[in-house]
Amino acid sequence: MTAETQMESYLTELRLHLGSLTIAEREEIVREIVAHVRDSAEESGASVETVLVRLGPAKDLAAQYRDGLLIRRASRSNSPLVLLRGALRLATKGVFGILVFFVGLFGYAMGGGLVLTALVKPILPANTGVWFDGSGHFKSSGVLFPPPGSSAHEVLGMWFIPIALTVGSLLLLFTNWAIRTALRLSQRWQSRL
Amino acid sequence: MENKRTLPGDGEQPDRWEAQLRKGALEMAALACLWQGRLYGLEIIRFLENHSQLVLAEGTIYPILNRLKAEDLLTSEWVEAEAGHPRKYYSLTDAGRQRLRLMAEAWTSFSKGLSHLIEPVLEPKEIPQ
Repeated sequence: MTAETQMESYLTELRLHLGSLTIAEREEIVREIVAHVRDSAEESGASVETVLVRLGPAKDLAAQYRDGLLIRRASRSNSPLVLLRGALRLATKGVFGILVFFVGLFGYAMGGGLVLTALVKPILPANTGVWFDGSGHFKSSGVLFPPPGSSAHEVLGMWFIPIALTVGSLLLLFTNWAIRTALRLSQRWQSRL
Repeated sequence: MENKRTLPGDGEQPDRWEAQLRKGALEMAALACLWQGRLYGLEIIRFLENHSQLVLAEGTIYPILNRLKAEDLLTSEWVEAEAGHPRKYYSLTDAGRQRLRLMAEAWTSFSKGLSHLIEPVLEPKEIPQ
């Protein structure tokens, strides 16, 4: 295989694994890698093949660009879906990422659930709320079918709506902030020596 | 570099700890290379090797530069070189200079405090029982 063919083969694979980037971003990266290979080969007198080996597999190099970009985009986003996608990517890298992903999932599920129950309360007032039994112990909460029997009483009434909306929204905001912070921190740890 | 040493107690290799430490400093190091002027990728790799003992895998620096540029800490331009092909030169932006200055201050203050703490450890005396 000639040097030119080896280079083309490497760049084709690099392009393939940079698929999620825009064409302009991809070609800019490819152009820089081509310049590096030429410079490095000239400087050290090494063959193109040796320089490509030193660069590492095209798939891994592309993953560093891709992950950096995805996590960076996510760390600046307010969309729970984009943030969770970034956290999922982080989860493939280690225990910290797995923890961030599951804490994020739990936070969104709890926050979203609370907001949803607040919206359901005006439609199903008897089935939605927080119930305590006769001796003052917590029995249940949420949207229940059927609602708890006469031994339990709902304690919040229509106050359930503002309380659930506030707590749910705060939980969603906190989860957003926590994932964004974790993603920003992780960007500094990802570089490979 | 000695690869076989282990930390007594937890079995972790000091090299792994050292690698984590270097990773933490890499962003600052990449920015610091450009303090005195623009450089292209391979020059940055060699500058780091010669001035900081940070030896990088050749493909490592480019995704980092890409990220720092996306954070508006660096700017880049393609320049036609005598070598016959263009090279992508990186320079610090004003925001990059500011960030680097803050990082350098934090690093100096942190390492000064820590050096003071570990001073007795490096003295070639008896190990306390």
